[in-house]
Amino acid sequence: MRRTVLLGKWAIAAAAGSLVVAAACTPSEDDEGDGGGGGELVWAIGGSEAQPGGVHQKIAELWSEQNPDNPITIEVLPDEADQQREQQANVLQAEGDDFDVLGTDVIWTGEYSQNGWLESLEDVRDQIEPNVLEGAFNSAQWGGELWAAPYNTNAGFLYYRTDLVDEPPTTWDQLCDIAAQVGQQEDIGGLIGQGRKYEGFVVNWLEYYWSAGGELYNEDNSEVLFDTDLATQATEFMANAMDSGCFAPGFNTATEEEARAAFQTGDAVFMRNWPYAYQLIQDEGDPQVANNFDIAPLPTFTGDGTISALGGFNNAVSAFSSNKDAAKEFVVWASTDPEVQQMLATDASVPPVLTSVYDELQNEPDMALLSEVLPDAKPRPPAPTWNTISVEMQDALFPAYNGDGDPAEASETVADAFNESVEE
Amino acid sequence: MAGAEAATESRTLSGTGPEGRRPRTKGVSEKGLGRLFVTPAILLMVLVALFPVIYAFVVSLRAYTGRMYEGWAGLENYTEALEDDKFWAALEFTFVFTVTSVAAEFIIGLGFALLMNQAFRGRGITRAAILVPWVIPTVIAAQMWFFMFNVNPGFINSVLMLGDFNWLGESGWVKFAVIFADVWKTAPFVALLLLAGLQTIPTDVYESARVDGANAWQRFWHITLPLLRPAIFVALLFRTVEALRVYDLPQVMTRGAFDTESLSMVVQQYVVQTPDPGLGSALSTITFVIILGVGVIFVSLLGRELTIGKAER
Repeated sequence: MRRTVLLGKWAIAAAAGSLVVAAACTPSEDDEGDGGGGGELVWAIGGSEAQPGGVHQKIAELWSEQNPDNPITIEVLPDEADQQREQQANVLQAEGDDFDVLGTDVIWTGEYSQNGWLESLEDVRDQIEPNVLEGAFNSAQWGGELWAAPYNTNAGFLYYRTDLVDEPPTTWDQLCDIAAQVGQQEDIGGLIGQGRKYEGFVVNWLEYYWSAGGELYNEDNSEVLFDTDLATQATEFMANAMDSGCFAPGFNTATEEEARAAFQTGDAVFMRNWPYAYQLIQDEGDPQVANNFDIAPLPTFTGDGTISALGGFNNAVSAFSSNKDAAKEFVVWASTDPEVQQMLATDASVPPVLTSVYDELQNEPDMALLSEVLPDAKPRPPAPTWNTISVEMQDALFPAYNGDGDPAEASETVADAFNESVEE
Repeated sequence: MAGAEAATESRTLSGTGPEGRRPRTKGVSEKGLGRLFVTPAILLMVLVALFPVIYAFVVSLRAYTGRMYEGWAGLENYTEALEDDKFWAALEFTFVFTVTSVAAEFIIGLGFALLMNQAFRGRGITRAAILVPWVIPTVIAAQMWFFMFNVNPGFINSVLMLGDFNWLGESGWVKFAVIFADVWKTAPFVALLLLAGLQTIPTDVYESARVDGANAWQRFWHITLPLLRPAIFVALLFRTVEALRVYDLPQVMTRGAFDTESLSMVVQQYVVQTPDPGLGSALSTITFVIILGVGVIFVSLLGRELTIGKAER
């Protein structure tokens, strides 16, 4: 009897302990901005620039200064896009008015609009369309309707060490030759990119696939043009690069930040990453790297031109916002105000969408390269089912490039996923 | 407390009542009163524990496209779940994870418990130190171990002088890393429960065994282990059920790469990531039934253990 009582006491203590831990993990509810009618706006956006001191915060402060009646505060979402989407979806699914402005990844437009989560921006189309980049603008449309205002765009760069490489390679095979040679000489890794099993890996894989000449859909996304042979070629290239050491150790566990950490500490000759890293490596990198690196367009398989996946974020107005007019004003302002758009570029190396900013910042190397790369950048389809396709691609292609699956079989699985998306 | 007071009151009332009168039958009996006081707690449990289970079951019988309700599906979601390779791969990993991690945690936890049960200088500090991993929230522990196992910065590799060994990027070693992190995190929990059990074993049993000439191993095998059995069952029950629903460790450390996707991760995928609430709820109901089944087996074993213990006494 005594034994069970004592045991029970410990068990209760243990259970209570795990409850405390669980409570500590639960994100605290936002205690401001949901008053309704107070005129305050809440902007749900994530990533390092949403943190205090980041450029999104500065832009929010600028707006609040200019519009004291409708000040905006940022609800900081997690770093990774998948998790940001989950957090927004949780609120929007419940038709919550917690968020007025939603920072949405370019691939969410279709899904969000189909779910009825977004306020149409057709009435402000004329204020936005003539002023911003075409690719970014297209990513904010679905079904011929405008659902968001482009905020920033993104494209992949090839970062390379100028003290180890004379000329940036123009083909992937060249890159691997240099990576093998220099890597061995210096005892460091070759190319680091985003090879972990997540959306970023799909982006990296697509860049190989596109640069081999592949396509996903026709112009209006009604027909699948997925080419299994080119897909297999892309996957086999990655599998070989994994085996031969062309990819740096840890390629298959790296996201953007792990890649940047490896490159800026001098552990890799090349890196595929977004422009945001350009400024950060100069500020935080090992001096040997910070003073001896440069950026170039990503190589292709043929050596002609360049290809990059188009990334970036748009600002959408939540259909459940209690302050839609002010929110709409804000998203148009953030998209087209020259001061705001220039802050993105100069404060944070975040590529702006306003075309005039590129003309003004031609002397900045990262902005000059962007205006060279962006016309050839390809968007992932902003289809409502993109997440399902992406997860199937991850499930099939990740094992295939890591020697746990057959590349040709993986291509068939991915082709099926694309075909299903059109049939539905 | 209040129930006991009320009960004694009614007893004294009936005991000292006027002669010839029958004990009060109109009022609530002691048992009934007990039930009455327990009712709010049971209602609360039904609300927070039973309702979601039933709700998930209802949702699992519906058809959805994306998040949009399309109509009744019957058992279609269940057949789809059982035909999904992902489900079987996840089931296999979840079982491998559960068996290996719980076994390792039990052995290490028992060692810790025996150590902490000894009287030695610095015992308090040892107890506190051993419990530290368990206090760290799992997501943080998982992020930490990801960081330590990962090639960059490669903390474990530099300690073991392994160069660029890719723990989280090699089939097989990934599972080892996840299980290792789980054992590190929860062996202290097992130790805590077993220590509680050890402290209930009376010392005179050991003394008489010693008088009879039993050596340390015999004392452990014939006294400690049998008397510790109820505590062992409780520890294994808690850990097995928890391991079967593991989510955060593999999610943070691997994202399910190299066949380390657990059942809960597949459920999460269909509920949140690529929404199909019907299929997601069917998978979650299946997971619930599996965990419930394992739980019932443990509880019945534990129940038998306790009744045997009582009968012997």
